[in-house]
Amino acid sequence: MSPQATLDLDLQTHTLGNGLRVILGRQASLPLTAVNLWYHVGSKNERPGRTGFAHLFEHMLFQGSEHVGTNEHFRYVQQVGGVANGSTWYDRTNYYETVPTHQLDLALWLESDRMGFFLPALTQENLDTQRDVVMNERRQRVENQPYGQAGERIHEMLYPEGHPYHWPVIGYMEDIAAATLEEVRTFFRTYYTPNNAVISVVGDIDPGEALGRVEAWFGDIPPGPPVAKVVPPPIRLGGEQRALIPDNVRLPRVYVAFRAPAYGDRLWYTADLLAAVLAGGKSSPLYRDLVYDRQIVQDVGASVGPYECGGTFMLVATARPGVSAEEVEAALLGHLAAAASAPPSEADLERARNRMLTDAYGSLQRLDTLADQLSQFATYFGDPAGGLNEAERYLEITPQELVDYATGWCTEPERVVVSVVPRTAS
Amino acid sequence: MAPNRSVPPPPRQIRAYRFPPFLRSRLAGGLEIVAARLPGPPLASLELVAPAGAQYDPEERPGIATLTASVLDEGTDRRSSLEIAATAERLGGYFTAGADWDVGYLATGLLSSHCREGLELLAEVVASPTFPESEVERLRRQRIAEIQRRLQDPGALADDRFHREIYRGTPYAHPLYGTEESIARLTRETLVDFYRGHYGYDGSTLIAVGDFDPEALLRDAENVFGAAAGPPGPTPPRPEIRPAPLTGIGVHVVDRPGAAQTELRVGHAGVSRTNPDYVSLAVLNTLLGGKFTSRINLNLRERHGYTYGATSRFSSRQGPGPFTVNAAVETNAAAAAAREVLHEIRRVREALVEPEELDETRSYMVGVFPYSLQTVGDVTRRLETMVVFGLSDDYYTRYLDKVAATTREEIQEVARRHLDPERIVIVAVGPAEILEPQFEGVGPVTVWTPEGEPRTVVART
Repeated sequence: MSPQATLDLDLQTHTLGNGLRVILGRQASLPLTAVNLWYHVGSKNERPGRTGFAHLFEHMLFQGSEHVGTNEHFRYVQQVGGVANGSTWYDRTNYYETVPTHQLDLALWLESDRMGFFLPALTQENLDTQRDVVMNERRQRVENQPYGQAGERIHEMLYPEGHPYHWPVIGYMEDIAAATLEEVRTFFRTYYTPNNAVISVVGDIDPGEALGRVEAWFGDIPPGPPVAKVVPPPIRLGGEQRALIPDNVRLPRVYVAFRAPAYGDRLWYTADLLAAVLAGGKSSPLYRDLVYDRQIVQDVGASVGPYECGGTFMLVATARPGVSAEEVEAALLGHLAAAASAPPSEADLERARNRMLTDAYGSLQRLDTLADQLSQFATYFGDPAGGLNEAERYLEITPQELVDYATGWCTEPERVVVSVVPRTAS
Repeated sequence: MAPNRSVPPPPRQIRAYRFPPFLRSRLAGGLEIVAARLPGPPLASLELVAPAGAQYDPEERPGIATLTASVLDEGTDRRSSLEIAATAERLGGYFTAGADWDVGYLATGLLSSHCREGLELLAEVVASPTFPESEVERLRRQRIAEIQRRLQDPGALADDRFHREIYRGTPYAHPLYGTEESIARLTRETLVDFYRGHYGYDGSTLIAVGDFDPEALLRDAENVFGAAAGPPGPTPPRPEIRPAPLTGIGVHVVDRPGAAQTELRVGHAGVSRTNPDYVSLAVLNTLLGGKFTSRINLNLRERHGYTYGATSRFSSRQGPGPFTVNAAVETNAAAAAAREVLHEIRRVREALVEPEELDETRSYMVGVFPYSLQTVGDVTRRLETMVVFGLSDDYYTRYLDKVAATTREEIQEVARRHLDPERIVIVAVGPAEILEPQFEGVGPVTVWTPEGEPRTVVART
């Protein structure tokens, strides 16, 4: 199987006078258009003591702007049949709407109003409510979630203090509570500038005409000062780090994690392909061995985080009743050792490559994920079109590179192992 | 020229949306086929649905429908479990089997150029599963472990307790996945019997959506399935599910000492997806709790900050599916949040909704419809709904007209007919010692352990 050129979006890219990068694409199968903005700011731009701020700020950006009232953003979008949301991650924050094409101006109005006219609408009352909402979000996602604390511990150990991936995107409870209105203002002036943003507009549009409308709505927003790049310190753990988390769970779960190269690097795709070789699907070696043959785990997975300053390569498995965390850990490490000693079978490699291809097609079916991919590639690599052919990156990787990756990057001294175990057993 | 920012910009010319056209056919053996082309990336989704959902679980065997479905793709007379998975995965696809309340399904997703192979795999799995004893045993143990895992999952605990209370004495009272005791008792023979009685082609439908020629797909399906009739047993009649009416407001606390938050459910049995009021109810629900700007979410999240999000829904089932309001709330505010939910349900019954609010809701539902039909999976699900609930071929065209024509009076009428805030169940999963006193005055409170034992006295420290 080889990738087919399935998307001809008539892609156009421009940079406005204020530095806003604009990407336009035509995809006319439905009468819809996706508008997607990436601001190049995430939790890595925070400081200890104010963790979670980028995400809390994202909530505030839905609380209205000079010409849009509190909670009116969602109302305006939904009442025309649109869908809107936003998300915050380590390196970026995105905001997006998918609207019926004849309402494109509405989405551009809303996004340009909060980029250009946010501060006049900011109130203490709105901040207080959103702090409560976000604290409940943290309870729901982390504290009241079985195994919910593992992700934080892994990052805390894998990225030691001083590294901006050390703390969780959602932030720590006391930091969320401490956020002030003045900090919201400063954050906005520093990071929410046209020169720190990308906008993608994809759908049933004429790209040339759509550019004119983006220019009309966003062109007069003044640029801000350049944003300093976050340069994390180099890390070497120099010895395996381990944590045991007693939790309200019945079945132990084991996470084995390593730092991975930065997203976009050939080595990042190598890591991602290795994860798919090892555990992508029921016929993968980890699933075959641990779920079918030895029957020591309920489920098993492998993944690589696509982060700008280096990813996280992680294996995770949940034990069957009566099976210990130690046994599961030994099994996971055994498979990593095998990956470091011999290339995968032809069948496993073919399966993993084809999976990457169909996954990529799957995400290109949706306008919102398509627009998000263009914004991502524009933000990180200055190459939006590259996002359409990402699956090809996996085809270049040789079996020997997978062996070399497992040998060089999945080493014991740089390893983090977190086990979540039933409280009673601790 | 800078546009006027002070008011929302006017819309341009609206462009019409049409639901993808589809072909229907019926093979000699009774298998129905629905096929639609969705232009785009070269993907296809093939799904076979059979009247084999958990509503058919015999009283003493909850979980048999879902376990039978999950064993179906674990071996045929030609291929082992792993070979079935590998056949689909080698092509970058997947193969899966499962059951919900209404149907059992076998589904594969793959490149549209490989549809023929996908059809062959579906036909082989549905017609000649071997139910290997070793795989039955493996999946039974896996299922029991999953049931144990759910005892630690606050959302699952809330759902399970809620359904037990609103559906007492009916098949819907059990978890879809069964109970530890029932799963432990299911033998290979009982699964084979269930399979024989529910997966015959007469009554089953193949739904195919993808970037392919639907005519060619129909021909391939005719060749692959031929005139076969599938497994032999006659499909038993669909059970009549009639939950006993509730008598008041009942509060059920599932105790999780020290939990950081409380999972809340409020609701009662609703209506069948085939009820003629369904579309009006969908409009009512969207306004009440089905979108971000719904009354319940704006109240609980944006006005009070009690939760990260609250939603309501009428779940689609052939029988009377549940009406559920769902939120994870701050424990100290759990009863206050439940009171606000009851208030919103009362309000939508007592007063006509605002004309503007109804306009916004209707145009949201009409406008968002194409958004919900972007992928081969999206279109497959809509066609499955049409098939499973016996909706007419022009249902989705008429649906949009019907939504657009719904009136304030109809909303109030269906709210009064199908929502009852005085006969309703409230489930709160969290620390009982904080929750129980809060609910005094709301209704009688019963405290349960996660394992489902009633606990009358709560230890206080």
